[in-house]
Parts: sequence; structure tokens; C-alpha cells
Amino acid sequence: MQSELTAKAERIGFVLREYGAEMLQAMVILVVGLVVLQFTMRKLKVFIDKKTKDSSRANTILYIVYILLLVVIITSALITLGFDSRNVFRLIILSALAIIAALLVLRPYLPTLPFKVGNTVKVGALLGKIEATTMVNTRMKTFDGKTVFIPNSKILNDFVINYHFTPTRRIKIDIPIRHVRDILKTKQLMEAIMIEDPRVLLKPARPVVYTLNLTDGCVKMGARCWVNNTKFWLTQCDLLEKFLTRMERENIVLAGRRQAIRVFHETPLQLSGGDDNPGIETQAGPGAEAPSFSAVSDDDEM
Amino acid sequence: MKIADAIKIIDDNWVTKPKGFRVCMQRREGSEWVTDYSPGEKTAPLDSDVTTWRLAWKLAASTPLREGEPQEGDLVNLFVVDQDNNPVDYYSTGEKETFNACSI
Repeated sequence: MQSELTAKAERIGFVLREYGAEMLQAMVILVVGLVVLQFTMRKLKVFIDKKTKDSSRANTILYIVYILLLVVIITSALITLGFDSRNVFRLIILSALAIIAALLVLRPYLPTLPFKVGNTVKVGALLGKIEATTMVNTRMKTFDGKTVFIPNSKILNDFVINYHFTPTRRIKIDIPIRHVRDILKTKQLMEAIMIEDPRVLLKPARPVVYTLNLTDGCVKMGARCWVNNTKFWLTQCDLLEKFLTRMERENIVLAGRRQAIRVFHETPLQLSGGDDNPGIETQAGPGAEAPSFSAVSDDDEM
Repeated sequence: MKIADAIKIIDDNWVTKPKGFRVCMQRREGSEWVTDYSPGEKTAPLDSDVTTWRLAWKLAASTPLREGEPQEGDLVNLFVVDQDNNPVDYYSTGEKETFNACSI
């Protein structure tokens, strides 16, 4: 046992005596090279970020430069260590070719993330801008300022909406109104408001207003128009504000949630009917001898 | 008449689509009133009349009319104009509106 250890120590001592200086040089080249590489990449990133705003392209350039410089450092270290330079170059070229071939063959079968850095996407319930991707997770900044790290496995198994692929989006605003007599006035008003907005596009489709439904005592009107992706949110908010303020001015009554209140009295109440109390009607209450009244209040009008 | 022709008539005559909006105002400089715009005439106008009216209202609220002689930097007669310098109706009332209205 002791003789084996002695033999190993002697072998290590021999290797260190014979190749120690070269190993030390190679180590120094490797360490200094990696430190210089990190420093160079930081400076290069600042430089490229100033030159181009396309972060995806900048990352690709940085990645390629990083790989090339790393290969140069490793090659220098190996040659210093005593490897035959021709063999080192052959090994590097063979490795590069093997990696490229593997990528070309396997690429269709490799799962890829359906977005790039800088895209605005919705993953599950999260909406935000992609800041960075790694092999393990994706960093997203949501519009309320949170930074979320999403595992790539979750992204690949969940639905993803990438708003970067299509330049335009459709705005959909549904507003319920109370009276059928206001349908035409509402249609004209909503359509005019959409057309006069500079952000509303005429293609892929012109602004249009539909009478969607008649339910729960209200008529649902639906406005549809197209805008550029980047202007979607503000345009939608502005249009809604303009719809509501102008409908208020035009005395178009919006339909809110209706609440029924039933009041039972021993003696009949004298209520004036007509337009002032459109929802009041008489009916027999349960267990009441005298006639009772059912009133539908519109206390939740918007 | 083709549908395309009909649509062209409607587009040209029914509702016009402004290309942008600016706040037009008069600013006191020394002893004179100078007409100014925000955003300036050499920069791109805003694409939202709601935002532009809000800007006009905030400017007016920040420089309320004072009694007596107008001071340097006072902003009066603020309203919104389109790219051709035509006054734009206030979307909230549907009528011409001027904040900090003052006869000069």
C-alpha cells in the first residue's frame, strides 16, 4: 500500500519536474485570459449597446465573439502545455464541425422558446416584456414593474401569446345601454369617435359598431376597431372615456345592474305611474290580503 | 357607385381624422403675449386628444389666472389644436373650450 503511494508520488513529482513550468504557464494563460475575456466582454457590451438598439442582435454578436476568444485562450493554453499545434487545431475544427452538424440535424427537434428578448408576451396569466433567457428560465419584466423568473419548462407547457408577431390589435369595447330608441344614436356616436381618432386604423378592417345582444333588460353595443400594438392600451382607455362622456352628454342611458326590491303593504299604496316610475307594477304578495306592489329600482345606473 | 367610391365620399366628408394634437397657449414674455405650442411645432404632435386636453388642463391648473397685471410666464387661453392649427372640440363637452380664458 505504502509502495503504491510512493510510486504515485514519484510519478507526480516526475511530471511536475518535467512539465511543471509549462503547466504553470498554461494555467497563467488560462486564468489571465479568462479575466481579460470577462473585462473585454463587459466593455464590448457597453460599446455594442450604444451602437445598436436591437438587443437580440447585440447578444448574438457578443456570444460569437465570446466563443471565438474562448477558443483562442484554450488553444494558447494547450499549445503552451506542449500539445502539437496542428493536432490542437484539428481537434478544434473537428469539434466545431461536430457541433454545427449536431445543431443542424437536431434543431427541428429541439424545443425553442416562442419569443426573443425584447418581445412583449403573455405567458399564462403573466404579461410583460422579455428581458433575458437562459437554458433554465426566462426573465420577464411585467408592466407593473415586477421582475418574474419563469421556468422554461412552464413556458413550453403553457400557452404563450407573442404580441410581437402581429403589428396590429383589435380593440373591443362593449357597452350596455338601457333603451332601444338609443341604438342608432349610440352606433353613430361610437363609430364617429373611433373614426376621428388618429390612432384607429382603417386596415385590416374599418371601425364598426354592432348591436350584440338583448339580455337582462339592456341592449349590448359592441365597438370594434384596429390599432397598432404599441398604442392598444391607451387608445382603448381613451375611446372608453370618450364613449362614456359623450353618451352622458347625449342623454343615452347606460344599463347597469338591476336590483329588484319587493315591498309588501297591508294597505294599497298610491303610486303615480307613467314615465317617472316605469318599473312599478301591482301584484298579489304571498300571504297578503291587500294588493301589493313590486318595484324595480334602477339604483345602479352608471 | 362602387363601394370604394362611396367610402371615399364618407371619409372625405363625414368625420375627419386629425393627424395630431397640440396645446395652443399664450405666454407672457416681458410686456408681450407670445403664442406657444406644446409639443412645439418642430416636434411630432401628440396622437391622443384626451392626453392633449389633459396636458392643457394641467398647464392651466398650474398657472391659474391672477388678479392684477399679468406676470412673466403666465399662461392663458389654452386650448387644443390639430395639425393645421384648427381648434379641436373638447371631447368631454363636444364644444370649443378654452382654459384660463382671458381677453388680451
